[in-house]
Amino acid sequence: MAVKALKAVSVGRNGLGAFILQCKRIDLHYCDWAGSSKGMNGFIKSLLPKFAAAHPQIEFTVSPRPSKHPVAIGHYINGREKAICVRNMEPYEILKKLELLRDANGEKLKKLSKNVTSINESVRGVWSPYHGNGLQV
Amino acid sequence: MEATLSRPAASALSCCCRTTSTPRLVPGLIRHQSTKARTKRMLNIPKHESFLNPRPQTNHIIFNPPSSEASVYHTPFKFLPKNDPRRRAQLPQLFATSTTIQYPQPSENANPEELPAAFPPELGTKKYHMTKEDVEEMRRLRLEDPVTNTVTALSQKFGCTPWFVMMCVKSPREHRDQHKAREAAIKAKWGPKRTAAREERARRWAMLFRGEI
Amino acid sequence: MKRLRVERWTNQLLTARSGAAGGISCSAPRIRCLAAAARKSLSTAAAESSAPVIDGLDNNPRFPPLEDIPPQAATLPSPLPERALQSAKLAALHARLSLSQKIPLQTLARTLVDASADSHPRFNNTNLAFVGQTLINYHVAEQFMIQYPRLPMEILYAAIKGIAGDTSLYHIAKSWGIESAAAPGGEVDPGFLQYSLENDGDAILFFGSVRTEAKYLDKYKFRRGVSSRVVFDNDFGDRVDEFAQNIEDDEGASGDYGSAATRKRAEKAHANHVRAVVGAIYAHCGRDAVKAFVKAHVLSRKLALDKLFYFSDPTRELATLCAREDFEKPIARLLSETGRLSRTPVFVVGIYSGKDKLGEASAPSLDHARRKAAMNALKAWYLYSPGENARVPSDMLAEDAEKWEPGYIDIGEIITRGGNFRH
Repeated sequence: MAVKALKAVSVGRNGLGAFILQCKRIDLHYCDWAGSSKGMNGFIKSLLPKFAAAHPQIEFTVSPRPSKHPVAIGHYINGREKAICVRNMEPYEILKKLELLRDANGEKLKKLSKNVTSINESVRGVWSPYHGNGLQV
Repeated sequence: MEATLSRPAASALSCCCRTTSTPRLVPGLIRHQSTKARTKRMLNIPKHESFLNPRPQTNHIIFNPPSSEASVYHTPFKFLPKNDPRRRAQLPQLFATSTTIQYPQPSENANPEELPAAFPPELGTKKYHMTKEDVEEMRRLRLEDPVTNTVTALSQKFGCTPWFVMMCVKSPREHRDQHKAREAAIKAKWGPKRTAAREERARRWAMLFRGEI
Repeated sequence: MKRLRVERWTNQLLTARSGAAGGISCSAPRIRCLAAAARKSLSTAAAESSAPVIDGLDNNPRFPPLEDIPPQAATLPSPLPERALQSAKLAALHARLSLSQKIPLQTLARTLVDASADSHPRFNNTNLAFVGQTLINYHVAEQFMIQYPRLPMEILYAAIKGIAGDTSLYHIAKSWGIESAAAPGGEVDPGFLQYSLENDGDAILFFGSVRTEAKYLDKYKFRRGVSSRVVFDNDFGDRVDEFAQNIEDDEGASGDYGSAATRKRAEKAHANHVRAVVGAIYAHCGRDAVKAFVKAHVLSRKLALDKLFYFSDPTRELATLCAREDFEKPIARLLSETGRLSRTPVFVVGIYSGKDKLGEASAPSLDHARRKAAMNALKAWYLYSPGENARVPSDMLAEDAEKWEPGYIDIGEIITRGGNFRH
């Protein structure tokens, strides 16, 4: 046989084909007693049912954490987690934070100073000084 | 001085300037005027006529080949199957009719002298002149005295390629062993640099065949 | 103590997504749980570990257990099907994959039980996975065969394996956010993938037959030609007993991240889960849904086909091709060069057949450039494609399908006698 095959594994591109929301779980912690949890308790009572119903792909867990500030923790498909302390926040502020957790992809925040690169081949190829005879206009 | 200018933009610039009759010290080289509006007007050179083509009445393709190595996903025209729509579309003819762009000659009209030089120099057409007796003779000679009748010598004698000699006959085992031993002795004398260089060369070949370089 | 998944000391509240279970039109579980949250009577419980960890809390009236795990659960090899309705993880997974409401959570729970965890075929995912693998492999194979009709069989096998093989499907499962239980058991949350790292399970998941000479293939380095691979081996051209053979070699030498064998078992279990999900979609929603799912999740992945080729004698193969197709003899021509006498020369060589250029390449030596150009020409031949929108046979299964026009079929790959290789 003249041609043999090398091994390769395909690379997934989320959103091309199917889109999987990267946030898979959000933990909400509150305290029954402390004042900093007042907003969180209100949020759980009033806004969470609607928010959870709108996002069935996220698993919500609500649990008390006595004598601590309230926290919202997002767990992501890449294995990382993102925790936001929501002490003394109003319910709608907490809703904003939850939307932030929902929209994040779990990666560490970093400044994108380099150009975005693609794994797709360029349509016109990589410029080479040895090719093409120039456009004669 | 203006005659020496060959840049189209610059000459267009200078002729613009002449029409506005602005007094200038070095015409065509100063790229600004006293006001922004005048500078803009001065730099507003007419478009090259290739941009001013009237809109085509029929559909046509503008072919501007990229200055890059062709992708392997672009099948050469010759490799297209007989019933492929790209073959039916007669694309080379379409490209040839393009007036604005100089398209490299389509293959039917290409002049063979214009093609670059072949390398290695083209081998002659195959002669197929070896007979069964020739092959027998070659085998006999090689087996009798492999030292004198080397592959090269035989190929020259019979007018065939060394590759063909090697296909026909294998030298005696002891000769091959001697040869290998001699080669091993030579390799043993190599220093670390030469050994590493040889290894790297082999690795580079493997990488080439795997498409990594 | 079998498993211990202490996420935090507070653990999750288990809710089921409303309406995810087919036909059950109750939106109760979530609301009930949330109402419970509102009453601030929420409590901790280990979702998937039973009593031992939080013994002290079990009797606390303030923190009652969230889920009543049936008493016999710990003795079962996998969770009871009815517990699927209580698992928040399952409901979330169901929604994340945008599965149809026709697929009940119980079926989804079953796709997560590998044969190595529960050997009973009515409770593990073997049957679903078998259906799923035939469907995935069929859709991937027809796509490649129609879109790249000239691919050599070896490359086709590698391409199918690259898209639908265990490793690729493992990555798909990971991208779905599948988590695995530390060890399988009846008390585990049904939302976790359950498989054993110690044994393989006895599920038969591929077509193919064990060769009579299987024992001697490795020992005597028997040749396994492509034709025999088509007949005997599985959809990827691998021996059906290859996994069992290799896993024996990889056993032992267990480090922090397990041994090679445990990693392979994990990969296989994840892949079988993906196959089982496809099988479940087929069972509940039919072939159109399966096709759409495979296209969205499997075929949308990127695989660079031109990186799969490994040539040994490209110039010779190209010459054979040109002879076979009645093209003129291929000739290498030097198109341009620079720095011939320098340390870093560049030669651009094109391969011509008659007046047509078949391929070209640049390399730092004339010989490299010539062979690379021949390789590019061969790749251009093999990677011929009739276009993105070529119809595949399964398109004909649609009711209002237009008349079938046969796709391009190539006469076959270029066959050369094995020559002497340069490397």
